[in-house]
Amino acid sequence: MGLYYKIVKKPWPYWVGGILLALLNISLLLITGSVWGVTTGLLYWGLFIIESLGANPASWYYFNVYSPGFRGGYTLILNPHSVLNIAIIIGALLAVLWANQYKFKKIKNMKQIFFALAGGILMGYGSRLSFGCNIGAYFSAIPSFSLHGWVFGVFIFVGAYIGTRILYKYII
Amino acid sequence: MASSRIEELKRQKKMEVSKKRNQIPYAILLTIAVLIIYLIITKYQITFGNYWVIGILLGITIQRSRFCFVASVRDPIMVGSTSLLKAILLAFIISTIGFFIIQYNAIASNPDIRIQEIPGQFSPVGIHTAIGAVLFGIGMVMAGGCVSGTLTRLGEGYAINLVVLVGFIIGSILGTKHFSFWDKLLISNAEAIYIPEYLGLFPTLILQLALLCVLYYIAHWYDKKSNIMASTM
Repeated sequence: MGLYYKIVKKPWPYWVGGILLALLNISLLLITGSVWGVTTGLLYWGLFIIESLGANPASWYYFNVYSPGFRGGYTLILNPHSVLNIAIIIGALLAVLWANQYKFKKIKNMKQIFFALAGGILMGYGSRLSFGCNIGAYFSAIPSFSLHGWVFGVFIFVGAYIGTRILYKYII
Repeated sequence: MASSRIEELKRQKKMEVSKKRNQIPYAILLTIAVLIIYLIITKYQITFGNYWVIGILLGITIQRSRFCFVASVRDPIMVGSTSLLKAILLAFIISTIGFFIIQYNAIASNPDIRIQEIPGQFSPVGIHTAIGAVLFGIGMVMAGGCVSGTLTRLGEGYAINLVVLVGFIIGSILGTKHFSFWDKLLISNAEAIYIPEYLGLFPTLILQLALLCVLYYIAHWYDKKSNIMASTM
């Protein structure tokens, strides 16, 4: 019961999480040849939606310059990025269910929706400029010895500082 | 909102109240479903199975350790706590060593390797990287979650993170649509910079490890000095 309680019920210390995330990212690079990234998969979902609505994003400038280059058998929905993202959602659900801690949490108010939507849009737009989010352009880029990871790491603090000013002003 | 510690205590309290209903049968069902999906997608394409397993483990790890990149940059600013930042620096130290070994082997087996072929993540670096990171930093503090955190909390049952996800997808599409503007202005002049190309692979490894250790030490010192929520770890 002691070990079960420690692993399944009690939160793990942050440093355990850090070590495991690092080992998983190394394993991913070793086994699949690509590192952990989140944004590309979500961009593809968005492209799938607007393509279904009749747009033709394949003709956009972005895809002529930085072609994602689908290999055989991959689509906007069925690709490694998607599989990884869906697996993260399911993994988290699995963890809360085994801990008996799943609970659906409703949206509180319009203010929360506004901040969630605006925050999401800023993150999405920003991640296109920096070629990734705090995973692809930071967590995976710094250990790759790519300079853009360090630049991202410095300026995400600048953004977070501005963000906390906004929070102080409008929420707290 | 003032600190993740308070949020955590509130969450724990809520969970104690909702503990009555037994969720283990659902856990068993989902575990079986995860295994079946593994078998199906592995048959479709072997690499998908690898992504699936590692993704599941990433989700479990982020959820169980309450790992949060937002708190790692927000808490030092708001409450002076750096325990998450230190965990990320620790992760950087370990993954730097792991990535180094993988890159070393790749370069040793093919000395004429091009940057694009070196295992890892390389993107053009420049002012656009800084602008993107600032926008991202503002957005993740406003939304109260980064992208991986949003996925994890979606799994935990937070409805609000569906809104964050929709916003993120809208933002990505807008960013992609406007890309030609930024590319002509900034990005097309920028290049991906692989630091070992300038300093050598071994010196870069030593320098980066030293820098990460110094940052860890500073984060540790800063926490001791300015953490208003003593003993958060």
